[in-house]
Amino acid sequence: MAIVDELSALRTSTLAAIEQAADTSALEEVRVAVLGKAGTLTGYLRGMGQVAKEERAAVGKAVNEVRGAVEAALEERKRALAAKELEAAIDAAAVDVTLPGRGQQVGTRHLINAITDQISEIFLGLGYTVAQGPEVETDYYNFEALNAPADHPSRSMQDTFYVVDRSGEESAVRGESKVLLRTQTSGVQVHVMEQQKPPIYIIAPGKVYRRDVADPSHLPQFTQIEGLVVDKGISFGDLKGTLDYFCKQMFGPDRKTRFRAHYFPFTEPSAEADVSCGVCGGTGHLHDGERCRMCKGTGWLEILGCGMVDPNVLSMSGIDPEEYSGFAFGVGVERVACLKYNVPDLRMLLEGDMRFLRQF
Amino acid sequence: MKVSLKWLNEYVEVPTDIKAFCDKLDLTGTGVEGVETLGAAFDHVVTAKVLKKEHHPDSDHMWVCSVDVGGLNVDKEGNPEPLQIVCGAQNFNEGDHIVTAMVGAELPGDVKIKKSKLRGVASFGMNCSARELGLSGDHDGIMILPEDAPVGVPFAEYAGLTDTVLDLEITPNRPDSLSIAGLAREVGAMYRRDWNDPLAEMAAKLQLDASATPVDEEVQITVEDAKRCPRYTARVIRGCKVGPSPDWMVERLAAIGQRSVNNIVDVTNYILFLFGQPLHAFDLDKLKNADGRAHIVVRAAQDGEPLTTLDGEKRTLTSDMTVISTPEQGAVALAGVMGGLDTEVTDDTVNILLEAATFEAGRTSRTSRNLGLISESSMRYERGVDDHGVEARSAAAAALIVEVAGGTVSAAAADDQGIIDVWPEPSTAAQLKFRIPRFRSMMGAQIPREFIVEILERLGCKVEDTADEDVLDVVSPTFRPDLPREIDLYEEVLRLYGMDLIPETLPGGRGRFGVRSHMEHVLDTVNRTMTASGLNETMTYSFAEPTELERLRMPVEGLGDPVELINPMNSDQSVMRQSIIPGLLRSVAHNQARGVKNIQLYEQGMVFFAHEGKKQPKERRRLAGVMAGAFGDAAWNVQPAAFDFFDGKGVVENLMRELAIPKVRYKALSAQEAPHLQPGRAAQVLSAGTVLGWVGELHPLACAAYDAQAPVVAFELDVEALAKVCRPARDYVDVPTFPAVSIDQAFVVDEDVTHERLEQCMSSAGGKLLAEVRLFDVYRDSERIGQGKKSMAYALTYRAADRTLTGEEVDKAHAKLVKKVCGATGAEVRA
Repeated sequence: MAIVDELSALRTSTLAAIEQAADTSALEEVRVAVLGKAGTLTGYLRGMGQVAKEERAAVGKAVNEVRGAVEAALEERKRALAAKELEAAIDAAAVDVTLPGRGQQVGTRHLINAITDQISEIFLGLGYTVAQGPEVETDYYNFEALNAPADHPSRSMQDTFYVVDRSGEESAVRGESKVLLRTQTSGVQVHVMEQQKPPIYIIAPGKVYRRDVADPSHLPQFTQIEGLVVDKGISFGDLKGTLDYFCKQMFGPDRKTRFRAHYFPFTEPSAEADVSCGVCGGTGHLHDGERCRMCKGTGWLEILGCGMVDPNVLSMSGIDPEEYSGFAFGVGVERVACLKYNVPDLRMLLEGDMRFLRQF
Repeated sequence: MKVSLKWLNEYVEVPTDIKAFCDKLDLTGTGVEGVETLGAAFDHVVTAKVLKKEHHPDSDHMWVCSVDVGGLNVDKEGNPEPLQIVCGAQNFNEGDHIVTAMVGAELPGDVKIKKSKLRGVASFGMNCSARELGLSGDHDGIMILPEDAPVGVPFAEYAGLTDTVLDLEITPNRPDSLSIAGLAREVGAMYRRDWNDPLAEMAAKLQLDASATPVDEEVQITVEDAKRCPRYTARVIRGCKVGPSPDWMVERLAAIGQRSVNNIVDVTNYILFLFGQPLHAFDLDKLKNADGRAHIVVRAAQDGEPLTTLDGEKRTLTSDMTVISTPEQGAVALAGVMGGLDTEVTDDTVNILLEAATFEAGRTSRTSRNLGLISESSMRYERGVDDHGVEARSAAAAALIVEVAGGTVSAAAADDQGIIDVWPEPSTAAQLKFRIPRFRSMMGAQIPREFIVEILERLGCKVEDTADEDVLDVVSPTFRPDLPREIDLYEEVLRLYGMDLIPETLPGGRGRFGVRSHMEHVLDTVNRTMTASGLNETMTYSFAEPTELERLRMPVEGLGDPVELINPMNSDQSVMRQSIIPGLLRSVAHNQARGVKNIQLYEQGMVFFAHEGKKQPKERRRLAGVMAGAFGDAAWNVQPAAFDFFDGKGVVENLMRELAIPKVRYKALSAQEAPHLQPGRAAQVLSAGTVLGWVGELHPLACAAYDAQAPVVAFELDVEALAKVCRPARDYVDVPTFPAVSIDQAFVVDEDVTHERLEQCMSSAGGKLLAEVRLFDVYRDSERIGQGKKSMAYALTYRAADRTLTGEEVDKAHAKLVKKVCGATGAEVRA
């Protein structure tokens, strides 16, 4: 048989083998058998020297033609097989996507501190700086410098924890002391005014303590955020505008605020601020006409105490009340937490129950 | 303070819309804490008329009546229908107007009226006697109303018993509001309407008996210290008959929650609630000395002086307190707070000495707090009782005593009001300037001048124009000690103008920057790192038990003593904490007791240390964490490992990295150094020479002491130390551009050779070329590598920053490293 015929036969059988190769490894075997170092077609290329000169061109052309055809067929078959195999592999790798993922536990912030940070953030945005003061305070900073001198009736508004005074000084009242657990963060106002000249724009978050038995709505230890502004030309309108902005940021843009006259020794005039109830929309009753339990039918929720800084407080801290005016406010963070999250029992905030903490 | 609106309405017109009235009170500074409707107890009790009265067929003393209750009972067509009632009373006739309790009524004494059968005859209610209605009077039989009484009207309405009582929160600055008259003035100002002050009319009723011994001959007053007692007045009422008070007074006092005692005491209470003037009635005869005269001495109590107060308590007084005394009997009353038992008015009292005085505010407050005795008097004196007008209020009281208890009021030789009056220095009213433009700019609203003037006048101020149109001359009333300054007047006008009417603005002014402190940035990083490490922030009490650290087995560290509370809530919370760990351990136990096994908590907060001679303790900010269980339960694709020392250390390492703390070291802590930790699983955390805290597994005995199940991994770090050594950012290191060569190398070493030691040897021997050392295996096998030995396998990375290392360079450096490590630590190379 002439070489050309042999090549033609090889071509036919190789293409058939390629067509029959069931997978990429079988296909590779075919390639090696034909095009490998010891492959059949390679043999013809190597044997060109023995081919008669006059046939050489024709044989060479035929070999190249066969090689081209085989390579093209190999390539095509390989692509087809690879696609099939990838498809099979993908099919085999399919999972139930509803199975739980492999997450790493991310921890949570405590509700109270998270809210404290949120409030701080709002006031930072208004240009306030965060200040701090001690939790064990002296009578001077907690009461006296806040215009509540000894025996002032306002002192009985809060039940104070007194601390043993290691300096040896004695109090005029049995069972009391000049050292105490601060009942309010307002003392920070005085520390700041002693250290800083106006303009003053600060907030001071921190723990405060009052002698209340722990129950669903009271804790002997809770969190307040104090705010203080002292500058030229500060008005009661500024106080209202600032706190209204704060409430809208905190509770939502559709909430309203109202101010009720009140009394604090260190502010004059003084007020308590309410935010409109989010449950009943400030109407005091639900859609079915029933009284709203959240706000007890009033439509308002008490949120903070505030007022214009009393001139005595400014004077005592060395600031001229004729030149400067200011406002101060104190927000109960637990109160905000209750209003936002409906926490039924404040004691949960101090228990460290994982099932509670991990909700926030 | 409880206020009967019916009573208040006598002096000022009270709006009929109670809700709107309460809102207005709230907004203007008088908080409404409760609203109670009296007369509710008389639901279903109505006025009626007896139409027919027939003998009961089966009883000789009962009657079957047909009672007309008007439209309050109707038949099926809606027409009024009389009720059939069986009644046992004998004092009524057909046509009488009576009071009937219909089915559904609840009478005092928990009597519920139901439909019943009496000896076989149905009865649909009960005809009531005054006693059955809980009203005073002990008449026999049912109540018979006048003939013109309407029929079929609720009895409470007919008898004028409906009243609304408000429970008001009077702020400490408002002594005037602790009285009905003061509130009437306030309501007048709130609604800009006039009110009637009843004082002048009541005082004018007083008639003095010139025939009796003049007061000043029978009574002598000495006030030793006018500061303690700015004004003391006394008058004498002779020949009173102590007995029950008239119904109207009992009713008024009952409405505001005051029990009737007797007519004399009730008058003093009545005047106290009406005018805010505390009074005390002494039995004059019990005050008299042997010479038949009463000599009242107002003086400081002696230390240890005894007095039995009206409540029967034996009190021991101090010199800080003021007493009313007589030379022979000693203290007879605690000034401003409570009278004495020995001189009180009793049923046998005939002659009365009526005290109307003022006492020093601060001292009264102190006395009341020192004795734990708060009375209606002390509440008013500590806020300030006006020394002006005492004589009129005393006169009103005396006139009322005569009206309800008879007797005559003695005249005085030296005083046409019939009082002995010791009043050396009357208080002066504050004379103030009201600068209208300043007021307006401080409030942020153009409040009209006429409004300002009107409100101040209605509140009792004297207001006069000055030459300057912008300035008013204002004299504060002496009954408003809270108005000594211009700013106090601003508040009055603002609150009555309405805070709601002030437009909202934001402070303008110069530029300012919101700045976070270094500590806050550190705390931000702490919180971010802790939560990223899977820990949950919590908060525990700052309070602790005195023996907390002993229980935890924690050494006191010489940082100071526990901060002790004078008045703790309970002994478990009687000091301030010195470590956060006990609180967290309690939370671990709390969770474990509730079946929550996996616990990862952290807390950041203050701990407290007291020092002798120092007023305030040192407060240190700490960060502590506890981990028990694992990060979750086994899941289909995850098997969380139980927490051990290295989980705690891992959290601490994360924090050290995030805070860029330099030269961090972990030094093993011995059982002596850290008894609260399990020996062998305890380390001190240091940055160079600075101690930052510790990390370790809590000692099983420490866990047990808190009912927590071991193991509990914990750490406690000093946040201020962290803040001090931390760096604002890590230094930039070039990202490597040349390839590295990695070699795995295992060393077999004695158990006591630490990883830290090996690492130090390797990095000093490896020099600049050693880029990274990573421990990837620790292996122990007594047979293969020997008893007391361990194999430590490290992946070492060699790299030069400026070139590709050759094989020879790496081999040479590595050989040097191995030799050095073996030489220094006795390590053997493991094939």
